Amino acid sequence: MAAPAVTAAGGWPVLALSLRSAVRRLPGLTQVRWSRYGPEYKDPRIDKEYYRKPLAELTEEEKYEQELRKTQLIKAAPAAKTSSVFEDPVISKFTNMMMKGGNKVLARSLMMQTLEAVKRKQFEKYHAASAEEQATIERNPYVIFHQALQNCEPVIGLVPILRGGHFYQVPVPLADRRRRFLAMKWMIKECREKKHRRMLMPEKLSHELLEAFHNQGPVIKKKHDMHKMAEANRALAHYRWW
Amino acid sequence: MLRRMTKLLSGARQLDPGRFLHRGSPAPQSLDAHLDDQRPRAVSCTSEDDPARHGEQHAALHYHIPLQDLKTVFPQGLPPRFIMQVKTFNEACLMVRKPALELLHYLKNTNFAHPAVRYVLYGEKGTGKTLSLCHVVHFCAKQDWLILHIPDAHLWVKNCRGLLQSSYNKQRFDQPVEASMWLKNFKTANERFLSQIKVQEKYVWNKRESTEKGSPLGAVVEQGLTRVRNATDAVGIVLKELKNQSCLGAFRLLVAVDGVNALWGRTSLKREDKSLIAPEELALVCSLRKMVRNDWHGGAIVLTLSQTGSLFKPRRAYLPQELLGKEGFDALDPFIPILVSNYNPKEFESCIQYYLENKWLQHEKGPPT
Repeated sequence: MAAPAVTAAGGWPVLALSLRSAVRRLPGLTQVRWSRYGPEYKDPRIDKEYYRKPLAELTEEEKYEQELRKTQLIKAAPAAKTSSVFEDPVISKFTNMMMKGGNKVLARSLMMQTLEAVKRKQFEKYHAASAEEQATIERNPYVIFHQALQNCEPVIGLVPILRGGHFYQVPVPLADRRRRFLAMKWMIKECREKKHRRMLMPEKLSHELLEAFHNQGPVIKKKHDMHKMAEANRALAHYRWW
Repeated sequence: MLRRMTKLLSGARQLDPGRFLHRGSPAPQSLDAHLDDQRPRAVSCTSEDDPARHGEQHAALHYHIPLQDLKTVFPQGLPPRFIMQVKTFNEACLMVRKPALELLHYLKNTNFAHPAVRYVLYGEKGTGKTLSLCHVVHFCAKQDWLILHIPDAHLWVKNCRGLLQSSYNKQRFDQPVEASMWLKNFKTANERFLSQIKVQEKYVWNKRESTEKGSPLGAVVEQGLTRVRNATDAVGIVLKELKNQSCLGAFRLLVAVDGVNALWGRTSLKREDKSLIAPEELALVCSLRKMVRNDWHGGAIVLTLSQTGSLFKPRRAYLPQELLGKEGFDALDPFIPILVSNYNPKEFESCIQYYLENKWLQHEKGPPT
């Protein structure tokens, strides 16, 4: 924090100074999405196991890193991230995507009700099944959720590329985060649009998750449609330059 | 500015989070394992399925209710989440707890010559009042009492469609839907009594139909079920007859009402001219209020207060004075209050053990089975 470019009067807080030094003053450009934290602020590490390791087990790098972080400025952890053992980044991301108008309480409760509905359906199947089938029935809703979203991820995607005044849909390999995003987006869109007016979201979402877990259902069909389109447009693949 | 920055840095060094990071304390997993070895695995279920034989030694243990009994004794009245749990696990297990044991002890020692004693289960939200009531109802059903179980009195004072003006008393209102539903469940629960008990007066329904004196109570119930317009009057007649005849000693009567504070609160029902209806103007509420008075003998009255479905009551209210109001408290006074509180550690352990036995806790980071 040595010598920021802007001089300040006595009353300015430290944060404001660092903010001003972070913003690049370009004429005609205003930042739309910005954070109150300057570039020297590091992300918090929310991992109980990392901090509970006894001194002897730490490697040189980890010791150095921990010593360094003692003097660094660290951002506040977001309210939605906990250090609980039940914390799941995929579930958090899905909940945030389901949220409407900032109503996290509602989104979280819908997510919990969906997981419970999945569990109850699987338990009923379990009790109705014979002994051999019982071993194959998965009752952990988290496993079902992760597997269903993995089954919905497309392998290859389409990107509109402008060539000669026309947009062509070019098949392109997708990054991991784009694939996860597309799987979640398709799932939520399907559950919001193609359900009966009186059916509740947890019921529909649990049904779709179970179908995707078994590689059936409309979301898997959408993934296959995307793959077929990419296969049909494979002649345009050379338009891609990356 | 420099002075302020150094103060910030020295403040951070004083806290020194590093000290807590490198304490070198034993990892928590080994601590849990150590505890598990010392503590014997708690048992959650008991084999004693007859509520009459439940005692202190069964406190915090679960007992099974056969699913066939569930359909006859509890066609209504179980909380919806409990019904979901029964459907998921394919078995109905109820925990034996202190308030229910206390009530069972009182009921076993009732003197049927004295006027009916009123027991009021009260407590904060979600502590188990309804399930304690169900435990008591199961006990009385096993002992062959006649059960008059109103699952939720709040359902009779709100969201009622089809209010009719009563033919019996012009100032009152009938609720055909709620009355007929209750009559259907009453019939399922008390089949064997309907043919034994005889009506003591003649009741004329309309120009063509009437029930003669001495005909079984089942005829009144059938009339209420077939002619839905007369269902409320049928309910009133059933309650009146049972009250008069319980003194004779042919059967023992249990009146179990869940959410009794609805009878003395406000309603959310409106007349055609949008003016509010008071609870006194509902025929069902009037007959129930008469039933809950202790001017009869030969049975007991078990009531539950409930804020969950109540109208215009604050969320934190749970004491009898707060929920019943002055009018209700005076009407129910004197009663025996029984506090139902949250699980104590032993009951909590038993509940978790029950879930573990049924493999309900599926997360891999959850407790080991």
